[in-house]
Amino acid sequence: MAVRQHLKPLFLATSALTLLVACSEETNTANEAAPVSEPTTTARPVDQAAVITHYADLAQATYQDALTTAQHLRNAVEALIANPSDETLDAARNAWLAARVPYQQSEVFRFGNAVVDDWEGQLNAWPLDEGLIDYVANDAYQYELGNDGATVNIVANTEINVGGQTVDVSTLSPELLADLNEIGGSEANVATGYHAVEFLLWGQDLNGFEAGAGNRSATDFAAGDACTNGNCERRAAYLEAASELLVQDLEWMVAQWSPSTTTNYRHELTSMATTEVFQKMLFGMGSLSLGELAGERMKVALEANSYEDEHDCFSDNTHNSHYYNGKGIENVYTGTYTRVDGTVLSGPSLSALVAETNPVLDAELTQQLQASMAALGQIKAAAEASDNPTKFDMMIAPANTSGAELINNAIAALVAQTANIEKAARIVGVESLQPDDAGHTF
Amino acid sequence: MPSLVSLRPLRHYLLAMALFVTATSSQANEALTRLHQDIGHGYTQLSETSNALADSASAYCRAPTGENQAKLRENWREAFLSWQRVRFVDFGPIEQNSLAWQFQFWPDPKNLVASKVSFWLHQDGELTVNTIDTAGVAVQGFPALEYLLWEPTFLQSDQALPAARSCDLLTAISQHIARNAQTVTAGWYDMASYYESTDDYSATTIKAAMSAVEVIRDRRLGAPMGLRGNGRRNAYQADAWRSGLSLETIRASLEGLDTLFSPGLGMELDAAGASEIKQRLAARLTEALSNFDDLPDGMAPLLNGDGYNSLQALYIDLELLEQVLTDDVAPTLGVIRGFNSSDGD
Repeated sequence: MAVRQHLKPLFLATSALTLLVACSEETNTANEAAPVSEPTTTARPVDQAAVITHYADLAQATYQDALTTAQHLRNAVEALIANPSDETLDAARNAWLAARVPYQQSEVFRFGNAVVDDWEGQLNAWPLDEGLIDYVANDAYQYELGNDGATVNIVANTEINVGGQTVDVSTLSPELLADLNEIGGSEANVATGYHAVEFLLWGQDLNGFEAGAGNRSATDFAAGDACTNGNCERRAAYLEAASELLVQDLEWMVAQWSPSTTTNYRHELTSMATTEVFQKMLFGMGSLSLGELAGERMKVALEANSYEDEHDCFSDNTHNSHYYNGKGIENVYTGTYTRVDGTVLSGPSLSALVAETNPVLDAELTQQLQASMAALGQIKAAAEASDNPTKFDMMIAPANTSGAELINNAIAALVAQTANIEKAARIVGVESLQPDDAGHTF
Repeated sequence: MPSLVSLRPLRHYLLAMALFVTATSSQANEALTRLHQDIGHGYTQLSETSNALADSASAYCRAPTGENQAKLRENWREAFLSWQRVRFVDFGPIEQNSLAWQFQFWPDPKNLVASKVSFWLHQDGELTVNTIDTAGVAVQGFPALEYLLWEPTFLQSDQALPAARSCDLLTAISQHIARNAQTVTAGWYDMASYYESTDDYSATTIKAAMSAVEVIRDRRLGAPMGLRGNGRRNAYQADAWRSGLSLETIRASLEGLDTLFSPGLGMELDAAGASEIKQRLAARLTEALSNFDDLPDGMAPLLNGDGYNSLQALYIDLELLEQVLTDDVAPTLGVIRGFNSSDGD
């Protein structure tokens, strides 16, 4: 969606002098506050190429987990369709929630790696005008201004017309759904991905700022007279096709990061200059941290009291989506990823590389990443409390000061770490983040 | 789809971390003094016009004549355009409490302004400026007033002004805006000596102007023209489409850069021995502003007709203006950029 100018990173606190020092001498080990002596143990120099290879390994493992959990989701969806019941619907919803855990951690690979950024819209575009897909409540549906597709209801129609373009949608295949994305030119026309599947599993959340998520009944997928809200077979076909497309898309991305071929993105990436890759790694961390997570996904919703801008608005799983976004940022810096089966992948990290030159900065950034995870963890804990849980859409209600405080704390922590992500960029040789200034020294 | 100039995504512009290498500090300080004065003048205008707007809202609700309504709309327009002139300043007191969003929550693709205004009109109980102070950015600013003054569906409803509840909301929001305008103006003058003695603010101010030009080109003009994403033209993506002032707001923002930013920057460029760049920038601004002589206030009529090429001409002039700032001004004055809050999608 269009981005408002919101969070300004607050570098006024850091003096120009600091930056001059940090910029001018790559090998400078001094922190701004006090010079720091070299670590007493003499570590071997960190192998820059190994840091990059490990970054690619992290991406591959994360996407592999996203794929595995998406396959489970597809299987659960097939079970739901074969036998719609509260149990099979619950199982499918749980599979969706589990699938979000690795996927949200993968988003840190998005910014900077065009192969991901160009691809991800089909999987995680948001927010969506869900009336494109299925029935919606007339009085509680706020859609994008000027979007002709916002109410076409593909499930209920075999032919749709959006902005003068007529499309035969009688057969709901993965390919057709992919083609329907952004039909009529609106970004809110999201026909595929996690949120389309989420909408079909949960339905609209009609509770506003009150407790409760979407409450679709399993009978929305029932055969014959048991079918509620009509078109159950087409709804089931839609859900199945969207789930299948998710699997196909993730298979493609896993292959892009595989080490066993030389014709994929991983090969391209590992052939680049090291500073170029470090730039991508840090750019991904900073962009997700500041503009996307702190800004688009939290600040907009909070400041405008807008549950329309809640990320997982149908399922009320937003706290987890935010939490695992944060985790992904930490993963890239620490070179560590806890896989869905519990095994831990770890290896040469950006952290080690930064520490080699500026251990104080490394310690500070590591601590900040932990602090932002703690702040996101507070949101998660409040949302999952056994007693009176407060979901994200309740936290952003007008006058909910304690909810706002939780979110503001997380925003502040993410903004703070972004400042040091920039410093870290210079430490690892990403001298200028502004192409037009390349070669300038200060 | 006539995309004349490719849009470089904002996310590739890394912004915010900025350095300024002083040429001679006394001249630089003079420049900062000038910038502080000029921007202060812009805030003072915002304050004065916002006070006039609040007075006008009260007067209209006391005596809802056609004349008072016309005056109210005109006062809204003047205050809103005052905001456009100083909108490029994204640092200092405006950073507190999301004040920029409080003045203008934008863009608003989901029409939150409409739903929040409707929410407050349907609530029972007191509705005063104190209610609005904590009511969320979608109902705190100029767009919410614009809705009350121009939205056709609302004007035809039984709640249309001067209905009592709507008048309460109108006066409360106007007073909230006036209050915020005083706050930001006072805050700006309070930081005078800090601003003038902190060289960093030079780059911060330049960076703010660069960012503002990019936002005008890419989002305030390029997005409604369909130059972002997949080419759909959509008037709702522009500013102030309800009042038909989308282009007039862009003109006001460019005027703000011309009068509140350009003179102080010119002193810095002179001090850096780059008077030629100063002249180039002034020429680009003049050229960009000259487009408006032949343009209407609104954008919608031009999006789907012969007028589209005049929007393209404006777009190109904004592109050229941005290039002078990025390619000439920034390197000359040693401004580099870091992460942008707009990085993301």
